[in-house]
Amino acid sequence: MTESEPGAAKTSTVTRVDRLPSTKMLNKIIPNYLLKSKLMSMLPWKKTAWVTAGFPVEVCYMFDIFPMHPENAACVSGTQKVSQELIEYAESLGFSRDLCSYFKTNIGAVEKKVGLTKGGIGKPTFCASTNTICDTHVKWFQIQARKFGVPYFCFDIPSAVSGTDDPRMDEYIDYVVAQYKDFVDFVGNVTGKKFSEQKFFSVLQKSDRLCELWHEIYEYRKLIPTPVAFQDTLAAIFPMVILPGLDTGIKFYEALLKDIKDRVAHGVGALTKDQEKYRVLFEGIPMWYKIKFFHELANYGAIITYEPYTYSFGPRKQLGLSYEKTLRELARMMINVPYSYSLEKRIVYFEKIIDEYKLDGIILHSNLSCRPSCTGMIDLKNAIQNDKGIPVWLMDCDMDDPRAYAEEPMKNRMESFVELMAQNKKK
Amino acid sequence: MKVLAYFDSSHDFPEEIAMAAGFVPVKILGDVKVDNAPADQYLQNFLCPAARSMLTDALAHSGNWDGIVIAHGCDITHRGFDIWKKHVKIPFIHWLNVPMVYGTASAAAFFKKEMEVLIKALERQFKVSISNDKLKAAIKESNDVKARLQQLSALRATKDVPNRDYFDACVKAVTLAKADVVKALDATLKDWSARPAFPAGKKRVVLTGSDITYPEFMDTLDAANIRAVRDDLSIGERYYATLIPEKNDPLDALVAYKFAMPRPSTKNPPDSRTEYLINALKDGGLDTVISQNVKFCEPYLFDTVHIEKTIKAKGYKYIHIEREFSPVKDAQAINRLEAFLEIGGAKA
Repeated sequence: MTESEPGAAKTSTVTRVDRLPSTKMLNKIIPNYLLKSKLMSMLPWKKTAWVTAGFPVEVCYMFDIFPMHPENAACVSGTQKVSQELIEYAESLGFSRDLCSYFKTNIGAVEKKVGLTKGGIGKPTFCASTNTICDTHVKWFQIQARKFGVPYFCFDIPSAVSGTDDPRMDEYIDYVVAQYKDFVDFVGNVTGKKFSEQKFFSVLQKSDRLCELWHEIYEYRKLIPTPVAFQDTLAAIFPMVILPGLDTGIKFYEALLKDIKDRVAHGVGALTKDQEKYRVLFEGIPMWYKIKFFHELANYGAIITYEPYTYSFGPRKQLGLSYEKTLRELARMMINVPYSYSLEKRIVYFEKIIDEYKLDGIILHSNLSCRPSCTGMIDLKNAIQNDKGIPVWLMDCDMDDPRAYAEEPMKNRMESFVELMAQNKKK
Repeated sequence: MKVLAYFDSSHDFPEEIAMAAGFVPVKILGDVKVDNAPADQYLQNFLCPAARSMLTDALAHSGNWDGIVIAHGCDITHRGFDIWKKHVKIPFIHWLNVPMVYGTASAAAFFKKEMEVLIKALERQFKVSISNDKLKAAIKESNDVKARLQQLSALRATKDVPNRDYFDACVKAVTLAKADVVKALDATLKDWSARPAFPAGKKRVVLTGSDITYPEFMDTLDAANIRAVRDDLSIGERYYATLIPEKNDPLDALVAYKFAMPRPSTKNPPDSRTEYLINALKDGGLDTVISQNVKFCEPYLFDTVHIEKTIKAKGYKYIHIEREFSPVKDAQAINRLEAFLEIGGAKA
């Protein structure tokens, strides 16, 4: 294969994935958040909570509680190349090599008291998580809440497996709504904060606006060339994960959309139209210590144009409902996180996305640190290959532990994957 | 007799519902001696090997069963359900959500509702009627088994009962018709009562950790001169330590039983698990806990560090070992355990 053929690697130059100019706003948003986070932890009258993905972080803003996100902090450790050191420290305390690398990064970061820019995080007033994505979220916060001597609240989210019908879903929603009410009592007892319906609706409205903008951004990703790459969304999810009830994220997303519309108006993509050869979906959490992986893919003309992971954080909320009905919709949302879709639903979801985003290949991150999301990936892979006829790379790796990443074998597999996409496009 | 097989982690499936429907409830245990290749067509090899073995078992033997219920224990149970549903040939497969949170009113109501849904599904599929009276009779039968296991368990500390014999008795309880179990356990009780006294040179310990689903690991303990005389395992004391209370509403009784049983690592709040182990040490006059973890069993791996600290802080001894899912006698584990005992690990 020569360099001019599809699938051939460009070895002499590195293809540049153009970031949206407004992503620079994050250079202020993230440090501001970190600084505020530090202050909030230090001021005894301020109330803070550790939360995880899958937890309705809006609830914190409803109570004027500052949310802190240890998973996000673990990503910071990964991107700053310190996660391995923190993981190994956690292992030296007795935590197994087989446990989640986010968890161990956080254990290491707290024990070693690393700074916020390396993934450090302050002591919260309380911890709250759900099992909607994994048991790890529960076990992790049990352990850290015990260490800090702070209360822990567990949202127990029923699993909507393949074939779950509406009556069963209603039953699950009843359970989650009951827990919302328990949570309101819990927060009242722990922080003395009172629940306000007015604040509840106001926060939800802003959160929904944020998600509306996020969805619009995703609509533009359907275009060829895509104006937005994973390199943008990867960082841009930050406001949705951490700041969903505030204006900060809304302003940021409006700026991103302006950039995107400018690009579209000028026919400009994250890669140029000639460079964009393969449109790829990446499923799972990225390897934070090796974001370069996605740039290396771009060297082959492959660009990530959809990620269920980043899309997951932006479900639209139904507005204008009564309090009780709104609670039910929030409960439904917590059960229906795309990251936790049943196998049946996951296959339908992926195949719809493949058509809508005109995808040429799929990378499924078979992530040693996220076993629940990996369960079913083999069936998902087979279904996509059979139904859509595009290559699927089941990629064994780890999101925060660089020890799982082997440079040369990964490069070989990447080349094979690109070659498969190239051959497939010739058909 | 019709068989309703179930896949759960810890002790999450309410067998009494199957019994009231006229089924023999059979816990799927997998087979450590059979290669996991059939399951590995669908599950990566870094997922729980015991769960993969159970899927292999189901792929091979589902024709012997009339239905399967999968009860939510750990992540692999609920994520695995879809895979079982897709690939295991069986006319009836049902998902039972079991709360992760124990002891709250909302969790109790939810679990009760889930059991009602299961009852309706069984009634619809198999044209049976599951009345409260039948459930109460099943609870009584279940308690008969549990009471016998309690008696047998007490003999572990005073009689020569190899770990494998205890394990086999517990396996009978979850795989045979309960009437047969009662007869078998009565015979076992007679046998164990007549056995020689606890052998000199063997060490009495409390055993904890992941579910043990095959007897060969129990042999490994014996090879290291260890006898587990107390435990909090699912095929063990978790199954029988508490009896199902008598209540007017049998489903309320099953909820109460669920919340009262020795707590597995898969549930919240978790601390009563540590309390159970400490009480077992105190009640048995013991001083050592042996914790074991099958590869990739995360819930128990998370708890290990805290439990070790807590147990040691109380002045007890503790060792944790990770094991492969393998029938081969684990010489490394034996060495570690022997060395641990030599440096003063446990009371003889």
